Formats: sequence, structure tokens, C-alpha cells
Amino acid sequence: MDIVWYVALSAVIFSIGAGGLLARRSPLVMLLCLELMLNASNLALIAFARMWANVDGQIFALVVMVVAACEVVVGLGIIVALYRNRVAIDIDELDSLRDPTEGAISD
Amino acid sequence: MTAAALNVLGAATSPPIEYETLLPFLVLAGGAVLTLIVSMFPGRFVQRALTPIVATSGLLASLVLFAIQLNEPPELLLSGSLRIDDLAVVFSLLIITAALVATVLAWRGSTVREAGSGEFYALLLSAVLGMTLLVASQNLVTLFLALELFSIPLYVLCGADLRRNRSLESGVKYLIIGSLGSVTLLYGLAFVFGATGSTGYAEIGKAIATGNLADDALLLVGVGLTLVGVAFKASIAPFHQWTPDVYEGAPTPITAFMSVATKAATFGLLLRLTGEAFLPLYHDWAPLLAVLAAVTILVGNLGALGQESLKRMLAYSGVAQAGYLLIGVVVGTALGARATVFYLLVYLLMNVGPFAVIISRERAGLGDGLTGMRNLGREAPVMAWSMTISMITLAGLPITAGFVGKLFLIESAIDGRYAWLAVVLVLGSALSLAYYLRVVAAMWMRPVAKRTGRPGRVAAVAGAATEGGAGRFPELVAIAVLAALASIVIGVWPQPLLDLATDAAEAFFSLSN
Repeated sequence: MDIVWYVALSAVIFSIGAGGLLARRSPLVMLLCLELMLNASNLALIAFARMWANVDGQIFALVVMVVAACEVVVGLGIIVALYRNRVAIDIDELDSLRDPTEGAISD
Repeated sequence: MTAAALNVLGAATSPPIEYETLLPFLVLAGGAVLTLIVSMFPGRFVQRALTPIVATSGLLASLVLFAIQLNEPPELLLSGSLRIDDLAVVFSLLIITAALVATVLAWRGSTVREAGSGEFYALLLSAVLGMTLLVASQNLVTLFLALELFSIPLYVLCGADLRRNRSLESGVKYLIIGSLGSVTLLYGLAFVFGATGSTGYAEIGKAIATGNLADDALLLVGVGLTLVGVAFKASIAPFHQWTPDVYEGAPTPITAFMSVATKAATFGLLLRLTGEAFLPLYHDWAPLLAVLAAVTILVGNLGALGQESLKRMLAYSGVAQAGYLLIGVVVGTALGARATVFYLLVYLLMNVGPFAVIISRERAGLGDGLTGMRNLGREAPVMAWSMTISMITLAGLPITAGFVGKLFLIESAIDGRYAWLAVVLVLGSALSLAYYLRVVAAMWMRPVAKRTGRPGRVAAVAGAATEGGAGRFPELVAIAVLAALASIVIGVWPQPLLDLATDAAEAFFSLSN
């Protein structure tokens, strides 16, 4: 099969992830969307590695998987800490840090 | 047959490992592990003294080992995935110095106690390791790994004040926006790999130059996404929005470290990428980055106007400085690279002083606001003078290091036919005077309106609290004073730092051009 389809699929997955990141308000779902984008990159890497018939891209994809796991661990850790502090798990409620002049926009 | 297979395996699994040159990195990694192990032993002495000492000695040892490698001929390590040249060495020295300052700033603060001494310092050391690897990397895989190795510990460090909601909020925001930057960068790298078929910077540069790829859509998308990803990390507008929130909420010693070291690491990466891998595409990315530089300078300086929180103001000022730094990258010459490296070295000197002052005010219970700076001139004149000098340096008035740094950037912009960027820089600096001098005014001027009320009592209470604040922490005073003195000395006699910057730029551009 043509390599273009793999790249197109990865672009679609990346866009779904990016769209979800913008639309969803829960940090947990946003983490999921980031994972989706990471795996879209992995798919592209592996497709390109196949196209060039070298293993560089596959090694890169393996490294990315390790990094993705680390990122999720840290992300979940911070979200649990938020939950313990009874901070709202909603990205729109996280507004104690912001420009004083921006007040009118989200209220 | 098995013997033959083993032979193949043996040949495949033993690339040369240059332990001697890798030693500074290994010391950082070992220091992080050792710090964690040491901190497991109970007792106040271990937590308060021994753990910081182990971490600091790791940083110092690595600093010395890097310094020894200065002016050595460039060396490729680990099958060409790292390159130790003067650019890598100078940036590593800068990053490690920033980390040493951060350990001193954090030493008796609440964050270390809250996060756990071992965890705090081990994370700091791994972030430093990631940054030093990033500026030495020569390969897309190493690039991404190093980038995440410094980003992930920083997400945790930003949220390290586990019971302060603003710190956690800063951690979550940095995690999500930082990861978005990383992912964008990664997708760009995947496309660059797809277009050129290799992951080494030199091979990519060669493939672009020889393969006539200048119009290749795949490559251009890849380069664009990569630069956007780096822009997220370097807080270049319009990808800077996380910066003020994260800098304000993060523990102040971490903000001080991030503001200098993250900038150094990402600009080191940017210099390497644009000067080596993407150099044949110069006419595609240079105008784009030039526009980003101008937008960043304006957005940063306008955003800083009227901020009440000093950490927030310094975050916007950091965005503006990223715009200035970008000018040296845009021109794509050795002169530009030298100007960027020099300005980064100066940025370390002028930016850590204010954070030391802010920490002393925070520990006195006055917060990081502009109002907390009131009366500093009378209560702690030494701190106030240091802060004044730092603010003047950041604004870039003559006889200070900031002035010399901006002069070199302007010189490189005019030399590289981007004179209009030099004009934007000057305009931005003029604008920045408004908010830097506001801090100076708050420190030295007497509050007029409130004098009549109950002056004696209020003044006495505030005075007592801040006298203790500045006097109890001599290390904060030392850092503020040293940074201010260094800014003046470098302003009058910039030669030592200029030599360092020249070495860094030349070691790098002699190869790629």
C-alpha cells in the first residue's frame, strides 16, 4: 500500500488529538488527546522508516513510547495532587493565575 | 552458525563509548541518583544539609569537567549523536551556573521541605542533564529525548509546592502546554525525517542541500512544525501564553532557574538546528523568524506594562528578551550566534538578582507584588540598590551588561540586513523602561498618601518583618549583590564573556559553513 495513506491517517489522528485538546476541559481527557498526538507522530515515524527502509524511525518511535509513558505518569501525579487539594478538575476553573486585565473574558 | 550470529551481535552492540568526554553528563546523572539515595536516610542534618551538599557538589563537579573541555577541538560522541564543541560547553556552563544559583535560592525555602529535599534536587539535576544534552545533541532522537528529559522534571518542579494551589495550577498548565509544544516538535521531526530519510543534523543538512528539497512540501511542513515546537518551549510569541501563568505560580527559585536555563537550552537548540540542519533553507525560515522576533518583542514589552506581580512582569520581560535573542538566530551568521550567546550569558547575570530580592520579600510575608517592594530602599538599601542596578541592566541603559548585549544584537542585525529588527529592538527597550523603572520608583519613593494614618505602628511592623527577611538570609543578599556587580563589571569590561561567546559561535560556524 502507498505510504501516503499512513501519513494521511497519522495527520487525521493528530488533528483529532489537537481538536480534542482545544475542545475538552478535563485535564485527564487533555492528556489522552496528547497521547493521541504522540501516537500519530509514532505512526508517521514508522511509515517513513518503512519508506526509507532504515530503522532510525523505528528506534525513534520506541524512544517516543518511553517518553510518553513518563509524561503520563507525571501528568496523572499532578492531577491527583490537584484532586487532593480539592482544586476543580476543570481547565476553565484553573484561573487563579492570569492577567488582571483579562477578567472580563471568561466570566 | 550461532557463533557467527554472536559475532554480528557483538559487532552491533559495541559502539565506542567515550567515557572521558561523557564524564560531565555522567556526573550529573550520578549526582541525581546519589542525591535520592542520600535523602532516604532520616534526620534533619541529612535533609537540610547533606542532600543539598551532595547535589551542589554534583553540579560543581560537572561545571569543572565542562570548563576543562573549553577550547578543546570538537568531538563527536556515541556514533555521532552528541557533539562536544565550545557551543555545547559554554551553554552547559551557563545552565549549570543557573542551577547552582537556584539551589542557593531554594536552600532554606519552603519548597524543598514541601517537595522533599532529595526529590527536589534530583529533579533539578535531571533537568540540567537534559538541557546540557540538548545543546550537545546532533541527532533528532537525542534532541527529543533530551528535550523531554528537561521538560518532565520541570513540570513536577513547577507543581512542587504540593499544598499551594497556584503552584499545582502552574504545574498542570506547564504540563499541558509544554507537552503540546513537545508533540508539535515531534510531529515536525517525523516529517523532517520523512523528507530527508536521516536523523542526524549534518545528514539532514546534506540531504536538503544535495537533494534539491527546498520546495518539498513534506520538508517545509516539518521545519515549520519543528520551529513552532521550539517556539513553545522558548516562549516566543504567539506561543508564549503559558509563560506568565507558569512563572507566577511556580516556586520562585524554580522560576529563576527556568527563566534563564530553559531559554539557554532552547536557544542553543535553535542555533544548532537553524545553523546546521536547516541552513540550506535559510531563505524560508529567516523571514518567518524575523516576524516572530518583532511580534515577540512587542507582545512581551506591552504585556509587562501594568503588571502588579513582579514574577509575572519578569515573565513578560523574559518573553521580550526571547524576541531580542531571536534576532541573532534570524541573521544566521557567526556574528549573530555570538550576539545571542553573549546576550544569554548577560541574561543570567541580570535576571537572577531580581529573583533573589523577590524571594527575600516572599519570605518576609510580603508576596511578589509591586506593593511588597515599597520601602525596600529604607529597610534594606543593599537589596534595593542591587534590584535597581538589575532593573537598569534589563532595560539596557548604558554602562551595564544589558546595554552591551543589545549593542551586539543590533550590530549583528544591521550586518545581516535586518536593520528594521534593530529598530524594533530599540523601540522595545524604550517601552521596557516604563515597567522596569516602575519597580525602582516603588522601592525608593516614599508612599505619599498613607503617611498620615497611623504611621508609627504600620511602619514598625513592616520594618521588623522585612529587616528579618533580608538579614536572616545572607545568601539571597549575596546573590543579588553579586549579580548587580557583575552586570556593571561586564558593562564596563565585556571582554571575558565576549571571548566565551566568540569561542562558542566560531567552534560551531567554522564547521557548518
